[in-house]
Amino acid sequence: MNPKTLLRLALLLPAIAQAASAAPKKDYIVTGSKPDRLFLIDAAARRVVGDFKIPGAHDWVGTIVPSPDGRIAYVLVNRMESIAGIDLGTGKEVFRADLSSPGERVKCLFAFDVTPDGKQMLVYEVPVKLGLSEYQVEPTRFAVFDTNAGLHAKPVREFPAPRRVHTLLTDKNDRTFFALGFDLYEYDIATGKRLETRGIRHWDHPGHSRPDLLAFWPVSEPTGIFAAPIYSTRTPAAGHGAPVPVTSLMTLNLRTGALAYHDVEKTSALIFSTVLSPTEPAAFGAYTQLTKIGLDPYRVEKRVDLPHTYYAVLVSTDGKEVYTAGAMCDVTVFDADTLAEKANIRLPGCGDQSVTSPRLVRR
Amino acid sequence: MSTTSKAENTGGWALAVLLGVLAAGAATRAVAAVTATTGPADGATLVKTYCGACHLPDRQGTLARIGDERKTPEGWVMTIFRMQNLHGLQLPATARDTIVRYLADTRGLAPSEAAPARFALERRPNVPDLALPGDLQRMCARCHSAARIALERRDAADWLKNANWHLAEFPTIEYQEGARDRHWWREASTKVPAELGRLFPLHTAAWAAWQRHAPIDLAGRWLVRGDEPGRGTYWGTAEIRRTAADEYRTTYRLRFADGQALDGQSHAIVYTGYEWRGTATLGDRSTHEVFAASPGGRRLSGRWFLDDHAEIGADWDAVRAGRAPRIVLVSPRAIRAGTSTRVTIVGEHLGGRVDLGAGLRARVVHRGRTSLVLQVDAAAHAAPGYRTVRVGGANAADAVAVYDRVDRLDVTPAYAIARLGGGKIDPVAAQFAVDAIEEIPGPASKPQAVHLGALPVAWSIGPFDAQAAHDRDVDFAGRIDSRGRFLPAGAGPNPKRPFHADNTGNLEVIATLPPGAAGRPTAVVGKAHLVVTVQRWNTPPIY
Ligand code: HEC
Ligand code: HEC
Repeated sequence: MNPKTLLRLALLLPAIAQAASAAPKKDYIVTGSKPDRLFLIDAAARRVVGDFKIPGAHDWVGTIVPSPDGRIAYVLVNRMESIAGIDLGTGKEVFRADLSSPGERVKCLFAFDVTPDGKQMLVYEVPVKLGLSEYQVEPTRFAVFDTNAGLHAKPVREFPAPRRVHTLLTDKNDRTFFALGFDLYEYDIATGKRLETRGIRHWDHPGHSRPDLLAFWPVSEPTGIFAAPIYSTRTPAAGHGAPVPVTSLMTLNLRTGALAYHDVEKTSALIFSTVLSPTEPAAFGAYTQLTKIGLDPYRVEKRVDLPHTYYAVLVSTDGKEVYTAGAMCDVTVFDADTLAEKANIRLPGCGDQSVTSPRLVRR
Repeated sequence: MSTTSKAENTGGWALAVLLGVLAAGAATRAVAAVTATTGPADGATLVKTYCGACHLPDRQGTLARIGDERKTPEGWVMTIFRMQNLHGLQLPATARDTIVRYLADTRGLAPSEAAPARFALERRPNVPDLALPGDLQRMCARCHSAARIALERRDAADWLKNANWHLAEFPTIEYQEGARDRHWWREASTKVPAELGRLFPLHTAAWAAWQRHAPIDLAGRWLVRGDEPGRGTYWGTAEIRRTAADEYRTTYRLRFADGQALDGQSHAIVYTGYEWRGTATLGDRSTHEVFAASPGGRRLSGRWFLDDHAEIGADWDAVRAGRAPRIVLVSPRAIRAGTSTRVTIVGEHLGGRVDLGAGLRARVVHRGRTSLVLQVDAAAHAAPGYRTVRVGGANAADAVAVYDRVDRLDVTPAYAIARLGGGKIDPVAAQFAVDAIEEIPGPASKPQAVHLGALPVAWSIGPFDAQAAHDRDVDFAGRIDSRGRFLPAGAGPNPKRPFHADNTGNLEVIATLPPGAAGRPTAVVGKAHLVVTVQRWNTPPIY
């Protein structure tokens, strides 16, 4: 490894130091499936060690947000209308927010997160008023919940939100959070004030068309940096010839707020979601293929066909293994270096995972 | 880029197909009994009873939403199905049928309003959709046809309510591909309803005039002609009897050009004064009829199709029998120079001299009440081109064509979609037909196309492009039969294909007319593009 790479690595790796000091903890994969299941998988042992039923899931198990201490998994269920907090040790429901109320149907469009101190939950709410003979779209909003509120949690605060937000990510400082939608917005959790707007649709990326980003996988572990594929077309440098479709990588450092876009390749395969390696300048992307993206320079380093479509991808805390999940009913383990398949873990009951967002927790 | 599978919408279309109940004999009588004793007033009462709990009346007594919309009978069926499916409305089938009749009669479309999108009601496969102006197409005709929209009338305020319902019911709409590049809701709640209110308003002169229109009685004797792609031209007569207000029973005596009988019977309801919807048996097939009566009540045209396969069906055109001599059809429509051909002229009062124009000599073989069978000798040097056919006082311009060779085969549809079948879902076939064309020098020495119609061709399939050739789509996607009907393979992953891909394919459909039949040294080939794709999970009455 050259010195430049090492320097980059050092910047990328705040999580490693923490991980090292918490030696007894292990990597677990948390995932969910239809109709109401939540699984805790011991990654190294390749074993499902927790298999829980989420009450009132109504055949819908979506986004998963682990508490920062890895004890609770908050899961969007009930066709996006409820968030259930499940204790990953006991399987008991310890938190519940039912977003809808009589006359108002409220869905959370996949976007919610918990602050790093574990105390507050931020939920992107899409409400609709149900009239007798007509439905009325209401303005979207952010709702803040107290995670200690128990099984009948009600928002402690609400404030206006833009439409079409697809991901919420809390900042490492407990005071602000990011919303990804048309653009990247940063809000003050206490006041609801929008502090900053930076470009996504309106990115500053010369020579590129307006990009397309749709990320429903709020994964930033283990690096603390969120990464997502973003698509656009690039006008050839000389200014002639047809625009070329390009896959770029968006990274958002949740601690520093640094936002960056880097071109990866002339789009040759679709990538649904990505995760950054904690140990090398690389990202992994999943869909019908598993792609290893080098970050120094940005390029496709390796690409292998997957046994089937996977929407989600995770990487182990030591950076040695990659996990594909979030479709059908299995998790496949790959060597992060060679992308060779190492193991396959089948989920009991074989329910569909495809609307869930599997996560990696340390506990 | 692509959307995720999360961005799916639900459809859940069960079999709430219009007139479904009429299919069974017992149910038929039940409906007839109800309708014989009920009129529009009872429809109004039923609407109040079944819809009034949620749809409250305004000061004039008009029920909210229901009074703000006009649509086709199929449109009302779809709305009411949703009331049952999503809002828990409990509605017996007989009451539903009466309500649909009442609503279609009192809040329907004028014939001129429905005309541009009749193809959707007629379930014509592979016809291009209407094009809505500007952004509307992108905003609104992405999940379903533009025709579904163009077959409704509302003012901007109710179009806005419909937009509200869409986003409420399908919250991922604004995230989907084709929507997330814009502030979808901002457009859908402002520009879109305003524009739709202008294009398709509730109150129109056409509807006002149609409501004053004298009722049409369709009873009587009719001359019928039609064409079933892959099967050919048919003709004959229909005896229509009126059995109740806007209800008819019909007896058909029809046959194809090759002599095969297509006799049958139908039971039909006429909605909105002109929308004929029938359930019929034709030969051994159960069919639906979607016809429209002309405002004068002298013509009834549209399409019939198989109960369980709307993609298989035929054009239908009936004219009321009258007193004047008339030619409605000449079959076949093309005669090759230098041959002797049996030709049938269909019409009425066909007495007197027969003249098929230059180079054609006709001998009468048989004179029937509605047809005239001729043996026609075409001179070897008869000039190619159209001829006017005259029989006594009747004549029909360009009713028959003479040809000496075929220059081109147009395959229709030029672009088609077929769907794989499997599980509970039948495959959707694609039926192709040819129109053979000879090009002759026309006015100002521009070539003029003489359409010869369908000639017997050989059908085959090939890969549409290099990818399809590589993936051997031809071996997996299905097969085409000798009448030009493509029958798709089964759905689901196929272990014989790389990545266990499904049997979808990108094909070329090839019609070949051999050199002899084409009158030239080489065969004439015509091609169409066929995409074999996955199943559709719902089959709404209007796509
Ligand atoms: C249980 C309550 C309920 C009943 C009963 C009910 N509706 Fe509705 N209806 C609704 C609601 C809620 C909406 C708005 C949401 C929607 O469009 O589905 C609606 C909407 C409609 C619309 C507007 C649809 C559009 O496309 O925008 C029409 C028309 C309608 N109903 C007709 C009827 C008729 C006709 C009946 C009786 C046969 C009926 N409804 C019975 C609740 C009901
Ligand atoms: C995400 C897909 C989608 C988009 C985009 C969409 N529609 Fe629809 N629309 C549907 C579906 C699904 C139905 C059928 C709902 C049912 O009755 O079950 C429907 C039904 C309708 C109906 C029939 C309503 C009734 O009561 O039967 C109309 C009219 C309509 N849409 C108009 C529009 C207009 C106008 C727009 C643009 C603002 C639009 N649609 C955009 C999915 C869509």
